[in-house]
Amino acid sequence: MIIDCHTHWGMCWADRDGDDPSRWLAALDAYGIDRAFLMGHAGMVHQDRSKADNDTVARIAAKTGGRLIPIASAWPQMGRAGVDEVRRCVEHLGMKGLKLHPWLQGFSTADPVLGDMCGLAGELNVPVFFHDGTPCYSLSEQIAGLARRFPSTTFVLGHAGLLWNWRSALEACRQPNVWICLCGPHRRAMETLCDRADPDRIVWGTDYGFGFADSIRYRLGLIRSARIAEAVREKVLGVNALRLLRQ
Amino acid sequence: MNVDGYVTLGVDREYDLTEADLLRAMDSAQVDSAVIAPVDRCLAVHNREGNDLILRAAAAHPTRFIPSCSVNPWYGRSAVQEIERSRSEGARILVLHPFVQGFQANDELVWPLLDSIAQQPMPVYVHTGTPGNATPWQIVDLAERYPSVDFIMGHCGATDFWNDVIPAARCVRNVHLESSLARPFLFVAYVEELGADRGIMGSCAPLDDLAFEWEQMRRVLPAEQWPGVYGGNLCRLLEKGSAP
Repeated sequence: MIIDCHTHWGMCWADRDGDDPSRWLAALDAYGIDRAFLMGHAGMVHQDRSKADNDTVARIAAKTGGRLIPIASAWPQMGRAGVDEVRRCVEHLGMKGLKLHPWLQGFSTADPVLGDMCGLAGELNVPVFFHDGTPCYSLSEQIAGLARRFPSTTFVLGHAGLLWNWRSALEACRQPNVWICLCGPHRRAMETLCDRADPDRIVWGTDYGFGFADSIRYRLGLIRSARIAEAVREKVLGVNALRLLRQ
Repeated sequence: MNVDGYVTLGVDREYDLTEADLLRAMDSAQVDSAVIAPVDRCLAVHNREGNDLILRAAAAHPTRFIPSCSVNPWYGRSAVQEIERSRSEGARILVLHPFVQGFQANDELVWPLLDSIAQQPMPVYVHTGTPGNATPWQIVDLAERYPSVDFIMGHCGATDFWNDVIPAARCVRNVHLESSLARPFLFVAYVEELGADRGIMGSCAPLDDLAFEWEQMRRVLPAEQWPGVYGGNLCRLLEKGSAP
């Protein structure tokens, strides 16, 4: 079982394929990937397209018989309407998590509306994925700060600190409600994270879909070639993602 | 001729690459030679210790290893002297790592080092990608101030500065792009846009696996670009440094 926990329905894909995921799914097939967490793209760079993008992601996922797991996004800048959008996506569209990108979306993790969203995600029992590894709004330690403030909410560091912030991601994992997604660090950092973080809170992803570039071959090869115990690799590639989904 | 543009040799903290292991990896990936650089601790503080280790390894394997040297610019005049000493003993590239060495890439702190390099050229490899102190546009600042010096933008600003790489590199001709950590599936777009004479293949072993990185790059880089990216471009820069 391989589950890619970090993919996007990229704007270039939407422009070319509309709501048809068949070519996108063919890429998963080519690499034996069973399921993928699907996040939006347009709704994370254009506030006025947020709701429509959530609808699109939910609609596409519904065509795949559960293979694609839809993840919503929302904007703290929208105030109460942003919080309501989180509820709508989870309760009415059946979306399974929230993805936020403070760097792209331009908000601070100290934003009080973001706090409301994180609290609601905890109530609704869905994980909150964050872009991480990037100053000044998306550092792993800033997400860990949210995890301290909202202990009932599960947070996923979408990039495990990327290339230069992975030590902070490792520190962030001291919070029991922080998970990391291996999608960005170099191989040695991945090995260290698997060795020193809780192996039950590590998942894997590719960031596939932001463009047409094939990031799957590389990132799947990277995790497969990493020097980590097979039992841990099995968890990271699929078992943990199923648990994350059930939380 | 396949040349790996950046490898860290040594055993320290997350580094565990011995000479024998590196040679084995190079053989398995059909890599003829590799630029070797010291581990982070030696980049940051124990410059001479790291440079000596690199120089000794290169002396033992002169056809396989291309020795770099590194100095922390905070050491001031003694840093310049260490460059000159290392160069006299065979070092062929200067490595700067603003993140590890604790300075801003375009800080005037680094000018005395580059003044020395400008007198007797050798390429300057700068690790990039960390916000605030190692960005593509900071390398452009250096390249404009020192137009006779060839700069290698290590990691192409990965991850966050991928947007800046192409516009920054277009502004100056004396900046080359090194691929490690930038991921092959993204690096090919830079080379496509800027020209195959600007790209340099590097693995950043052992942080990433040398053989894996070469295998992945060979899958995506067009074959007509291989001669330059896989060694020709770097060798051209090195030859400038060794010209009488």
